[in-house]
Amino acid sequence: MLAPSPPRRNVRGKVALWSGILAVAAIYLFATRPAPLADGESSGRTVPIEKVFRILATENGTVRALWTADIVAAGTKSGFKFHEKWRDDDVAAGPLPALFLREAATAVQKTRVPLGLFLGSDYPIAQSNLFSGVQAEHFKRVRASGKPEFFHAPDIGRHSAMFPDVAVAPGCVSCHNEHPRSPKTDWKLNDIMGATTWCYPKDKVSLEELLEIVGALRSGFAAGYDAYLAKTKTFGRPPEIGERWPREGYYVPTREVFMREFERRASGNTVDRLLHAFDRDASAPGH
Amino acid sequence: MFQPAVNAPAGRTIKTAAYLVGAAVGVAALAAALMPQAARLLAKGPANTGHAALACTDCHREAPGTMRQQVQAKVQFWLARRDSDVAFGHGRVGNAQCVDCHAREQDSHPVHRFLEPRFAQARAELGAQSCTSCHREHTGKRVTMAATACVTCHQDLELRRDPLDVAHRELVARAEWNTCLGCHDFHGNHKRSTQTRLDAAYPPSAISDYLAGGPSPYGRELKYPTRTGAQ
Repeated sequence: MLAPSPPRRNVRGKVALWSGILAVAAIYLFATRPAPLADGESSGRTVPIEKVFRILATENGTVRALWTADIVAAGTKSGFKFHEKWRDDDVAAGPLPALFLREAATAVQKTRVPLGLFLGSDYPIAQSNLFSGVQAEHFKRVRASGKPEFFHAPDIGRHSAMFPDVAVAPGCVSCHNEHPRSPKTDWKLNDIMGATTWCYPKDKVSLEELLEIVGALRSGFAAGYDAYLAKTKTFGRPPEIGERWPREGYYVPTREVFMREFERRASGNTVDRLLHAFDRDASAPGH
Repeated sequence: MFQPAVNAPAGRTIKTAAYLVGAAVGVAALAAALMPQAARLLAKGPANTGHAALACTDCHREAPGTMRQQVQAKVQFWLARRDSDVAFGHGRVGNAQCVDCHAREQDSHPVHRFLEPRFAQARAELGAQSCTSCHREHTGKRVTMAATACVTCHQDLELRRDPLDVAHRELVARAEWNTCLGCHDFHGNHKRSTQTRLDAAYPPSAISDYLAGGPSPYGRELKYPTRTGAQ
């Protein structure tokens, strides 16, 4: 006996129903669509992350030189102290250069810009800053060439760069050579003492995003300096905070004065690199 | 065999009524679920230590855009017509929500530090780059990570000037990883001095109680209190 065939009318009805539902969904989603949500970097021209890292490393080098020479070295001569335990209540001191960088790196995290900044070495004073794994391998090449290394860390989805961290002031050398926990005591001026590692989740960013990243880093520098100013107010003998610098005596500049001096030194180079951000010529300043 | 024709209309009526009752119950359940008072009932479990007073939306923030925009963006993403996916309804809870309340100027183990490439083992074994790997929410506890997790990163620990009466390298050799937190507050956020004698360390049972949500052996005075003042 033949099985009864399904009514052709029902099939047609179901096809019509589903076609109608899909048509309504298509109209809902596409024909009368609302303004689309922003899609990160999908439109416009982009800047390779290597160029971004070079801009950031130069900014960082500028603020580190300013901090090391004009705050730490000059301040030490004027009676200020700088110590690795500077945050302890009973220590009347400011952060050493490596710790100032860490302050800035921590402050960047509060900006929601997913930029990572870390300082390490193959001979660190604090064992927790010892390079290992992929960073140790790349640092060998940084030390040998004096040039930055760029790589991708797939397990964290971060594009990374390591830039040499050079002994820019006599204080870097003497402090590390004389520190009781230093594993190396024959550092010389201009030695590569370690490296800064930079991480970002994208391989290219829009110009707007680049400006946000630079802004986040600068806000980190300002926050690091704010932390130092807050600490100086707890000193038994608080310094005068104003226009003057430690080289002039027992003074510290305000945040505005400090950042203005930083910007005076850094902005020319950064703007120059931004103007060349889309250049393909490897000899351009952005490279 | 054919059903008697006289029963067909009655069957359809029962079926229609069942659909209507089902729809009404569904709508009522949905309405009840969407009421703000019902939010806690929908949680996966009890709030963690210090989080009881938080509203769900303190962490589960609304995703950007209207529902229609989100649907549209998701379809575009599935069709490979946009680069990034979007959240639907509520955004994913991540470190940013935790840091909103727990940001500190000083932290001996800040979560962002574990995004440095060299901490691959800590990420692989502990998921240390994510707050919720140690503080899994909706468990009613303070910490959900094992108290012995220090073993992942500190096996090579050797201090040049060891301040403890029993050398750290000896504790490592003896694999006494349950003693670490007896002296060291993981985030270093309590105002206290680290012990210099091993027999002064807090016992593992006190640490276990603390991780489970009990009283703090490290004291109650914090260097950087949270936004809500929670311990």
